[in-house]
Amino acid sequence: MTKKIWSAIAVVTITSISLLAGCSGKEEKKDAANEFQGSTLSMLVWEGYADPSFTALFEKQYGVKIKVSYVTSDDDLLAKIKAGGGEAYDIVTPNGTMAGFLMGSGMTEPIDTSLIPNFKDISSRLILPDMKKDGKIYGVPYMWGPNYLIYDGDVFAEAPKSWSVLWDSTYKGKVGMWDDISNIYIVGEMMGLDKKDPSALYNMTEEQLGMARKKLMELNSSVRKYWVSAGEVNDLFANKEIVISMGWPLTIRAVNEKGRNLKWTIPEEGTTGWVDRFMIVKGSKNQKLASLYINFIIGAEGQALTAKVTNYSVVNPKSAEFMTPELQKMTYVHEMDSLFVKLNFWQ
Amino acid sequence: MRQGNRKGRSRFVLLGILAPAVIWLVLFLILPYFNLFSFSFWKNDVFTVRHEFNLLNYAKFFTESQTGAAPYLVLLDTLKLACWVTVSTLLLSFPLAYFIRFKVTRYKQALYMLVIIPLWVSYIMRAYSWKIILGTNGILNSFLLWLGIVDTPVSFFLYSDVSVIIGMTHIYTPFVLMPVYTALEQIPQNLIEASNDLGGNRLRTFLHVVFPLALPGIITGGTYAFVLSMGDFLAPSLLGGPTSSTKIANIVQQQFGTSNNWPYGAAIGIVILVLVLGLLEVTGRLERHFSKLESTSPRTLR
Repeated sequence: MTKKIWSAIAVVTITSISLLAGCSGKEEKKDAANEFQGSTLSMLVWEGYADPSFTALFEKQYGVKIKVSYVTSDDDLLAKIKAGGGEAYDIVTPNGTMAGFLMGSGMTEPIDTSLIPNFKDISSRLILPDMKKDGKIYGVPYMWGPNYLIYDGDVFAEAPKSWSVLWDSTYKGKVGMWDDISNIYIVGEMMGLDKKDPSALYNMTEEQLGMARKKLMELNSSVRKYWVSAGEVNDLFANKEIVISMGWPLTIRAVNEKGRNLKWTIPEEGTTGWVDRFMIVKGSKNQKLASLYINFIIGAEGQALTAKVTNYSVVNPKSAEFMTPELQKMTYVHEMDSLFVKLNFWQ
Repeated sequence: MRQGNRKGRSRFVLLGILAPAVIWLVLFLILPYFNLFSFSFWKNDVFTVRHEFNLLNYAKFFTESQTGAAPYLVLLDTLKLACWVTVSTLLLSFPLAYFIRFKVTRYKQALYMLVIIPLWVSYIMRAYSWKIILGTNGILNSFLLWLGIVDTPVSFFLYSDVSVIIGMTHIYTPFVLMPVYTALEQIPQNLIEASNDLGGNRLRTFLHVVFPLALPGIITGGTYAFVLSMGDFLAPSLLGGPTSSTKIANIVQQQFGTSNNWPYGAAIGIVILVLVLGLLEVTGRLERHFSKLESTSPRTLR
């Protein structure tokens, strides 16, 4: 009886010790030679923004680790920042939908641009008002791009002319849609709300919202799946589950690489666009390292590497020298204006 | 006197051993429940939570709003799904357990493990594998096309209620098999032999000996399947379509994620909790009732 009790106590003690030991000990000793050696930079970014093809270069250069969490929508991004804060994430890449709010509610740190020499190479038209407050910079633009209407080139003989093709019963059951607020903008553009004033799209009245809601409910019978992440829509296109969807250049590149024939267009009603920017989360313990990373990735080479993975448009025109002619064309790097003016950027 | 000391000491030691477990339960189960309960009565504000007592969260769950149907209908829909999953897992697990227990002699352990091993594979992987099987370009459709049974791929195999039920059945069958098998295993062979000796044919033996004795296990297994599928948000989200991917657990998940309404999510959570506790009480009683059919412990018969 006593033997049993003692062995039971031993088991409990050993278990507790091993549990406690497992919980601690994440601190790594910092090398005096490189102040960042052994640190971990945590990024909360959209898919495609932490590809090893460029993060590995940074990791090697500074002897650090980059830890990545992906977001699938702006709501997701906000929820994660709220839950984790500066302890969980150092860098975050919101677009215009959330950036102004994050900055205004003090959830991000001002960025010291003296640590980011490449900042001066950024095309000035991309330094938007919601990146600055009280003379300080809170957001550094990273990539920008359109929300294309992506369609299967094998199914559509020519590019669809209007967003209303998503409701076309010919493609019933083969339509994909992002599970996101931006679907409201699509309907808004179909209703012509932003013809005179682009921001009208982001300030819809209750009545307009009601109409948009009704229109979107009709889409339920056509949609095969409301996808959540870019990875999911890539799979849906690759497996021929859908033939048309709103999507980003990243999807086109990823799926066509598998031998499919995706094409894209901007319908006659126009489309929305986004500018993703780097922000540093309030309370981050790695602000200097974060600034160094930002500098690295908005440099000419970092931008070209990101563009290669995502096919998104760059903010640093100097990156053209690191791009193939095809990539230059795809990202409109020499004619940023012509794409820029076609888009109604998210606010 | 010496006896009393020994008893006192072993009780003290027992307390010491149980203490970590009790503390763990209180910290990670009881206190969070209380926290959830309090949250359900607070108000949600723009990105903060106001600690003002109100019943609006519960009211919201049970009333129709101007933008849609009452959310509790999703709970009813989820209960319907849970029923389907329970029925199909039991229909699969019981014959399988019966077969392994009574008809297999040499490879009992191996066959049993074959059903349990998928539990070691991540849930998401198991759900994902159904996408590959049921998809438009998937194994099932390709097979049917090759056989010539259909001309075009069947679309309702995936992203529909059907795929959600199939996926969940596959994922929860091991949970159902375990108690059913255990119950069947504990039926002593000589009871069955006795029934045969008394002139019962296979059907009578099954209906009057095997099935009643297995009933507690069936009830347990069914309860597992029902409760687990009530709380499942992954399978509907991965395998469901526009009208089948939102179950009650998805709604709760959204409140703690993108919809950012923790008090409302907590309220729904409490409603589900109360429902499940009530269910467990009912099935617990049923199980105890049917266990009384075993008038002797198997051990004494050996």
